[in-house]
Amino acid sequence: MDFNLNSEQQMLQDSVRRFVENAYTFEARTALLETGQGGSAVNWRSFAENGWLGAAVPEPCGGFGGTVLETALIAHEFGRGLVIEPYLGCAVLAAQTLVASESSGVRQQLLPGLVDGTIRCAVAYSESGSCGMPLPVALRANRTSDGYVLNGSKSLVLGGRDAEWFIVSGVVANQANPADITLFLVNAEAPGLSRQALPLHDGSWAAEVVLENVFVPTDMVLGQPGQGMPALRHGLMHATVALCSELVGAMERAIEITADYLKLRKQFGVAIGSFQALQHRMADMAAELELSRSMLFALLAAIEGTDAAHKERMVSQAKTLISRAAKKVCGQAIQLHGGIGVTEECSVGHYFKRAVVGDVLLGSADRHEAHSAVQLQSELQGLGR
Amino acid sequence: MHFQVADQIDAFRAEVRDFLRKNLPADLAMKFQKMRAAPADLLRWQRILNANGWGAPYWPKAHGGTGWTVQERLVFDEECSIAGAPSPDIFAHKLIGPALNHFGTPEQKARHAGGIIRGDSLWCQGFSEPGSGSDLASLRTAAVLQDDHYVVNGQKIWTSYAHQSDWIFMLVRTDPTVKKQAGITMLLADMKSPGITVRPILSIDGRHHLNEVFIEDLRIPVSNRVGEEGDGWKITKFLLNNEHASAAELHVLQGYLRRLKQLATEWGTGTEPLIARPNFALQLARFEAEVNAIAMMVSRVAAMEQAGNLSPEAHALGCMLKVRATELQQSMSLFLVESSGDCGAIAYPTDHGTPPKLAYPFQEVVGGIASEAFFRRASTIYGGSSEVQRGIASSLLFQF
Repeated sequence: MDFNLNSEQQMLQDSVRRFVENAYTFEARTALLETGQGGSAVNWRSFAENGWLGAAVPEPCGGFGGTVLETALIAHEFGRGLVIEPYLGCAVLAAQTLVASESSGVRQQLLPGLVDGTIRCAVAYSESGSCGMPLPVALRANRTSDGYVLNGSKSLVLGGRDAEWFIVSGVVANQANPADITLFLVNAEAPGLSRQALPLHDGSWAAEVVLENVFVPTDMVLGQPGQGMPALRHGLMHATVALCSELVGAMERAIEITADYLKLRKQFGVAIGSFQALQHRMADMAAELELSRSMLFALLAAIEGTDAAHKERMVSQAKTLISRAAKKVCGQAIQLHGGIGVTEECSVGHYFKRAVVGDVLLGSADRHEAHSAVQLQSELQGLGR
Repeated sequence: MHFQVADQIDAFRAEVRDFLRKNLPADLAMKFQKMRAAPADLLRWQRILNANGWGAPYWPKAHGGTGWTVQERLVFDEECSIAGAPSPDIFAHKLIGPALNHFGTPEQKARHAGGIIRGDSLWCQGFSEPGSGSDLASLRTAAVLQDDHYVVNGQKIWTSYAHQSDWIFMLVRTDPTVKKQAGITMLLADMKSPGITVRPILSIDGRHHLNEVFIEDLRIPVSNRVGEEGDGWKITKFLLNNEHASAAELHVLQGYLRRLKQLATEWGTGTEPLIARPNFALQLARFEAEVNAIAMMVSRVAAMEQAGNLSPEAHALGCMLKVRATELQQSMSLFLVESSGDCGAIAYPTDHGTPPKLAYPFQEVVGGIASEAFFRRASTIYGGSSEVQRGIASSLLFQF
């Protein structure tokens, strides 16, 4: 293990941080939120030009051949700046789901467009019954002579506001095992598909996507019918790394902002940072942050390994521990600011909102914890028998 | 940055495991380590380790140690814990030994550091006093130089294993006129010396490991002084800032997790094993996640220690690790009690009092668990209390 960034990783971190510090000042971000556009096209183009949209996409697919570590570094800096563009949904979740799908003509066409920022794609997998977990899937696909007809609705599609393409998870009717999902590539303009853009608390946008008798030709199935789960899991694993890393970055920045404020704000004639109760609270917040960062590293370590069950377990553990920590730390950042902390003009409240949204995305802490618990039950009871 | 575990660490783990399988006597192995082994057993195990060239697992080669990296030492501790090998005399191996290696005279090194490796003697630490806990530098035990001896008077408290130790290293005040840190000196004393009286302190875990040490006109030759007069504080800081990775006692947390998983299937209410209860499974999942996070935090601190990183951030990370790891020790050991069902309330026999004629129910399964949980209340107090750690971390990170 080596916890130090090598020179290339350091350069990447520096360049994303520079972008965030210049283009994502609190004032600039506030102005961006007021446009109600879910980010700016100019920023998205910068992401593409800097290679951030394809950092972890293999070179044969038009990317830069990096690993999930590059994704984590980029997302960490985006978290510090509360970047609202749909990096997570489009550049990580959708791109990595495509990367892991069995190669097909469709994928070859889409990925280069995702990397250069000219095409946006989003994964429509979550439903009211799954809430960010990959299962269960209620959306049904009925086979026809030359394709499938899809019916169902997908909630909270990340990056879905402006996506031209959707990767939709569905179960083919009469599929023996309803966990054997199929991934369909559906154009946003397909007849029968409707979407409603939804603003989230943190200024980013998602969409609800409803499919009513949407026809998908056979060659728009990603990989083999009934075998979409590994690709979706791969996409979700990368996305969880990105989201967790973003939340670690958000906690880190919220703590810095709060530390500065405690040195500035005076009450009883002294800087409030001189009070031990507040110093200890800050130490606890910092410990929460470092435990979260360690958990993220543990997830990255699992991903570098080969044990699939362990990877899945660590995805759930990391999402649970880190999204809970982010809410705790950013909530305390508001508390330590006092009254000013609850105003729109103060940045810490926005960090808290990102943490609240971050917990909901990709399966909440509670759901992932329940998933870990069920895995433990089957593992241990399996041993007992 | 990468997270692959080096091949040499895996090979080292296999080597340690193989050694333990072949050399750990069955009568020394304890499945669930509660307290330190008896002195004779501890020294016997030390000699077995030494015969294999592992008499000083935590020291550099130049001082007769194994020269293992911080990461290898953690693997050694973990494997010893899994096998149930006696835990080492940390006062000898992690405190006075390194202090002598660094500051001791050639005679002190040969006799005492060498003695630790050979398994000659056990050590205790005379730091805390009734009026000097977190504010250690306020200590008042006085040493007055008379010819070639110091004459020492005062009292030490919370002295773990003083009643089983051959030697004590203690901090004394040699100069009451200077700044409090500057007047402190470190001395070594034979516990059998006239003038030393040890009185037990029984702790809430029902065991005897703590003591008071009364010191009256104790004569210590100048040759038993470590470093120069007034160096005591410097040596102490050197010792206490050196061991953040191992202070987390990761192997203890891993042991609790193994024990919980064992109870999960072997223990339960009525016909159902514990693991079938959703609340138990959820809590176990939560603990497993946090142990994984702590383990990685230990790896981060170990990497910093191995690289000799003495930055404020590195030190603060060590402090935060100590706080979180010891809090987790408390919650996990308490959860073990909660998981014991009705037996969680039974005061199984310990060091105090006479054992019952008929063993209490399930003593061999859950006996000792509650004692462990009571013992762990001390984890957030010893080695720098959580409050002291928070204070240090906050001042290093934020400079309020």
